Amino acid sequence: MIEAKLLIIDDEVEFASTLCQRLCLRGIETAEAHSGADGLVKIEEFKPDIVILDLKMPDMNGLDMLAEIKGRDRKVEVIMLTGHGSTASGIEAMEKGAFDYIMKPVDLGELLNKIQQADHKRSETQHDN
Amino acid sequence: MKWKNGWLSRVLPLFGDNMANNVVLEKDYANFGRSLFILLLILVLTPLSIISGLSHYQYKQLLQKEELTQLVLDIEQAESTIERFVSKLQSIIRFVGSADRYEELLSPDKLEALFARLQREYPDFADIEIIDSQGKQKSYIGPYQLVGYDHTEQQWYQEVLSRGVYISHVFSGYRQVPHFVIAVSRKHPDLEGSWVLRVTIDGRTLQRYVDTISTTSVADIYMIDANSVAQTQPRKFGKLGQVSRFHVPQQVHYDLSKIFPKHDGIVQKDAMVSVRETDQGQEVLRVVVALKDTPWHLVMVKEVYTHGNAWFFFQLRLFFILFSCIIIAVLVILKLSTSITSYIRECDRKREHFLAEAENASKLASIGQLAAGVAHEINNPLSIINQKAGLVEDYFDMTGSFQYKEEMQDALDGIQDSVLRCKTITHRLLGFARHTDVQTEEIEINVLLREVVAFLAKEATYNQISIDFDLDDTIHEIFSDRSQLQQVFLNIVNNAVDAIGKDGQILLSSSKIDQDTIEVKITDTGEGMSADVQRRIFDPFFTTKETGKGTGLGLSISYGILKKLGGTIKVQSEIGKGTIFVITLPVKHD
Repeated sequence: MIEAKLLIIDDEVEFASTLCQRLCLRGIETAEAHSGADGLVKIEEFKPDIVILDLKMPDMNGLDMLAEIKGRDRKVEVIMLTGHGSTASGIEAMEKGAFDYIMKPVDLGELLNKIQQADHKRSETQHDN
Repeated sequence: MKWKNGWLSRVLPLFGDNMANNVVLEKDYANFGRSLFILLLILVLTPLSIISGLSHYQYKQLLQKEELTQLVLDIEQAESTIERFVSKLQSIIRFVGSADRYEELLSPDKLEALFARLQREYPDFADIEIIDSQGKQKSYIGPYQLVGYDHTEQQWYQEVLSRGVYISHVFSGYRQVPHFVIAVSRKHPDLEGSWVLRVTIDGRTLQRYVDTISTTSVADIYMIDANSVAQTQPRKFGKLGQVSRFHVPQQVHYDLSKIFPKHDGIVQKDAMVSVRETDQGQEVLRVVVALKDTPWHLVMVKEVYTHGNAWFFFQLRLFFILFSCIIIAVLVILKLSTSITSYIRECDRKREHFLAEAENASKLASIGQLAAGVAHEINNPLSIINQKAGLVEDYFDMTGSFQYKEEMQDALDGIQDSVLRCKTITHRLLGFARHTDVQTEEIEINVLLREVVAFLAKEATYNQISIDFDLDDTIHEIFSDRSQLQQVFLNIVNNAVDAIGKDGQILLSSSKIDQDTIEVKITDTGEGMSADVQRRIFDPFFTTKETGKGTGLGLSISYGILKKLGGTIKVQSEIGKGTIFVITLPVKHD
């Protein structure tokens, strides 16, 4: 059972809302944002534990957004979402603090697996503190 | 001057129009080489010919001048000798015929005694006679009895009276032997008119003198009269008493006035120099000079310089030097033009190769960018389809049974499968655009080749294709990316299997090129490729396979991988015989 709160930030509205719906159906508290700026606002309001973040958005680069999120709260885990399929971009994101990355089109099972791992890590960190 | 379309471009085509069109064919190189050879040859042979020609001309001038100078000096010397001799004869006869000795000489005894004394000194004196002022012979010592003979009507008699002295031509007369006459006239001291002393002299005396002054440096020397009748016996050109004949050649080889100008100081008097031709067609130089106070001319004939050794050996030497220089020049220029042509051909080949490489790289980069863009754009809607289908599936799971639920579930599965296929395609496109990073490790290339073949062994056996190896065991490990090399070899061997179809052979060989490079050859006995196909084989999306069977990316991806790994790939193919892919790889990848 995943207890973490999830925020999906992706400029593809249909994708973000559908994924949001599917995760909600699985009992995960999920919110969505459709731009970088909207995402930052939602982070303040919704206080997510895990962010699923698109690497490429019109108003903000995914890696900059990652740095911003991590700058505000290091405890928030970020899973990068990319259509590029580039190992290099994923690795770069992980070097900058992302928990993991997943390539589009997203296989929900794989995503849930990564969310679970991130949630587990987050829980462990909280216990340590 | 415009090179194109000119006559020069036809004679010396160089690269002609093809060069302007940037297409250079093998025959253009041959033309260029030939033109270069001709141009260089002209460049070298022109000054050589000019120098040789000038040398030839100068030496000829020198020889001509030298021979003319010598000839004129010789004739002047001979002229002077003969003139002195004739002058001496005249003096003797003048002395004998002193004005006051007329009476004394009329006495036959005294005349005979005098003649005897003269003959002792000059045996060639043939007779002597005294002619009175009436023109009648008064006294005579000689072989003929002509006393009383009247000379008044004869021309010589008139001449001697008017000029005081007369020297005749050489003639035969009654004697039938050549002779000439010297006569002097003297005024009677106490009577009217003049008496004449006439002496006949054997012509041999002149001959002896001419023979004495004749040298081997001249071909002939003799005397003629005003009518060109020989007065002495010529050695070669004519007969005594006959007209000496020479022909004026059709073409005189040199202008005597230029070679031997009058103001030169060498031709002092009236020497007439001319080029003549003998009856035998031989060209000779003929100099004629008038002997002072005589009816005679001295003639000297000399063979022209072209018959001399000096000219012959000069020409021989000149020819030898010129011929040697031409042979050396031709050989050197031939070597030079061949080398330059080969060098240009090699440079062009390299340039073409680099251009093709650059063009290919640029094409791959552009197509890569396009592919990445397309893949990215497709990925987003694909993700939406994927998620929407997933959401519908989620709702299905939450909903109870209803009509056609199963069929709709099948349809959803179909959508998911298609999304998965699209995902594979977009990932491959992205892979083409940007290969994954190189991960270097130690690889035994021979082992890797055997592993790759193992993947396709079943298919090959099924199609009766034998796969053989000719591997160099001395190749040890190389440092490269195992999975990417696997992909390359798999692509090529897979293509070879497809190209053969059924029943054929594939040979994989490996060898060392040098310490730093190895070579892998994959040879098949398939249908082969045309030159056009070979040229496009590494282009992305180019395929000869049936639609849906090949993406046309395999070889272009292999090309990109090998380039990234520091290697190369080349294809050699012939329709109906098969194809060879030649791959080189560095032993160590940086």
